[in-house]
Amino acid sequence: MAQPTLTFPRPVFAKLSPHPFLLRSLCPQSESDPAGRTNGRAPREARSINIHTSSLSHAHGSAVIRTGDTTVICGVRAEVLPVASIPQFRPRAAFEEETETSKRAELKNYDLLVPNIELATGCAPQFLPGVPPTALAQTLSTRVYSLLHGSGMVDVEDLRIWKRQKKEGEMEVDEDGEEEREEQELVGYWVLYVDLLFVSFDGNPFDAAWTAVVAALKDTKLPVARWDTEREAVVCSRESRPLKVRGLPVACSAAVFLEKEYGEPGEGRHWILLDPDRLEETLCREVITMVVDCSSGETRIRAIEKQGGTVVGRELLRGFAGVAEQRWKEVSKAMQ
Amino acid sequence: MADRRRINGPPGATIPPIYEDASDKSVVTRQPPRSRPANAIRQTYLKTGVTPSASGSAYLEVEMAGKPGVSGLKLSCTVHGPRSLPRSSLFSPHIILSTHVKFAPFATKQRRGYLRDPTERDLGSHLEAALRGAIIADRWPKSGVDIIVSIIEGDQDRETSRQQGDEAWDMMNTLSGCITVASAALADAGIDCVDTVAGGVAALVRDDADNGKPKIVIDPVPSEHDKIEAACCVAYLPTRDEITNLWFKGDMPDDDMATYMELVQQGIQASKHANRVLVQCIGETVG
Repeated sequence: MAQPTLTFPRPVFAKLSPHPFLLRSLCPQSESDPAGRTNGRAPREARSINIHTSSLSHAHGSAVIRTGDTTVICGVRAEVLPVASIPQFRPRAAFEEETETSKRAELKNYDLLVPNIELATGCAPQFLPGVPPTALAQTLSTRVYSLLHGSGMVDVEDLRIWKRQKKEGEMEVDEDGEEEREEQELVGYWVLYVDLLFVSFDGNPFDAAWTAVVAALKDTKLPVARWDTEREAVVCSRESRPLKVRGLPVACSAAVFLEKEYGEPGEGRHWILLDPDRLEETLCREVITMVVDCSSGETRIRAIEKQGGTVVGRELLRGFAGVAEQRWKEVSKAMQ
Repeated sequence: MADRRRINGPPGATIPPIYEDASDKSVVTRQPPRSRPANAIRQTYLKTGVTPSASGSAYLEVEMAGKPGVSGLKLSCTVHGPRSLPRSSLFSPHIILSTHVKFAPFATKQRRGYLRDPTERDLGSHLEAALRGAIIADRWPKSGVDIIVSIIEGDQDRETSRQQGDEAWDMMNTLSGCITVASAALADAGIDCVDTVAGGVAALVRDDADNGKPKIVIDPVPSEHDKIEAACCVAYLPTRDEITNLWFKGDMPDDDMATYMELVQQGIQASKHANRVLVQCIGETVG
């Protein structure tokens, strides 16, 4: 009598014992069975990225990003914040010099960038609507918020609305006396609501969300606004001008997979998995994110975040900058 | 109190941009009048399986009339389940449907908040009624299924939807899209239904070009007509010849039963057109 054999398809193993499943896949077994990740990628291989902009008609700028099975939609919407409704508004005195720091402080103090991430669209079984935003959604929103301010991509100058429409090449402080200066009064700001919606979620949400934010901001066109003295309100004309976005920061994340599921980190072998998917993300504790910008010709690191373990040291981090640089090239190619 | 779990932006109120020509009626660019026949629906694109991690999912896009390439409606739907109900819930001999309809903040002319508002709840309950009639509910006792529709783009082009009072009629088109996309996602999830339900809209419109004579059109685009008198949204099962949900709205004389019947009949026609797209889409996935 033949012995009944018990075999399961791969998804069943992945669900029953995910850690040994991924571990076995990463260890080379034989010549015919090369080592690789369960999704068929090499450890340092990211998913290809697909960017589509200007598909939404109600947003001032929008982008749809697809990397593997992660799909994000980002819409940028501009609204007017009149100076009168800012509680602690302090106009800049003429003698105060405008510096990069003061501009950034202005952007942050008046809270002109409002990013929010919505995961509760059923994009994965753990994110269902009807409950308050999950911890992950809150963390992602906060990370995008701080990176938006930290990277200095948006210049506050672009968001200011003047009483009189400023013309190209005109100096901000003019010498013609009081009358002119009064016309150059600041009446309001544009507030950019950056809303992100996950249509499909398969790991590495931050990289996808950040790429979507950058692509949508690059696509944003603000209406030309001026002060209407009759209506005492800011009115816009139908023509618009593109928002100036400085640099092209690209986020690159990787997760560290340990050989031992339990036990001290640092024991046994480990693998660095670039652009982790949902299965890998649940099995890895240590995650590293690096935001680099190579648009000026040289690689500049905008942010490094690392949490959950001590495997990644100085040497690994240095090597990771090279990986991030490679990723920057891929993303910037997709942006065009 | 402000929602502390989200980033709320500046404490002062922000105003959506006011355009200088908005109040000037003469400048308002009117949408060209309806060019397709009264009994034809707009081009519809439907695709299943957009969210691999969900049990079933679908994406629907309806072409913007008069402007090729620009779409008027973009919906994405995911279905999770059937799954067991939590232990704390009461016994149920049939499957419990929970439907959520949510507009994305950038879906409409006015920015939408993240909390569900009454129109979204209303759409959700209409959708539930439409689907409940199609699902064979007693095949899954003690279980529940979540149906989530995200409206990525919910009314018309920004330039054309400036006229007042459009939104109420747009809601009908949105609901009919929600029904069709949810039906496709249910089929993708493999949940047994008696038939494929699809939504259709018919409206009684009055155009100045026709000397103000009312006429019935299907799949109306509010900006293409001068006035919409009444509209009805029908969820219809074609092989069973059954209506699972009927939503009628508008202003009509109460002695004119024939027009009422005709409007519903045209709604069924619109639904049949949508069903053809739906069946073709499901056929592609399965076959």
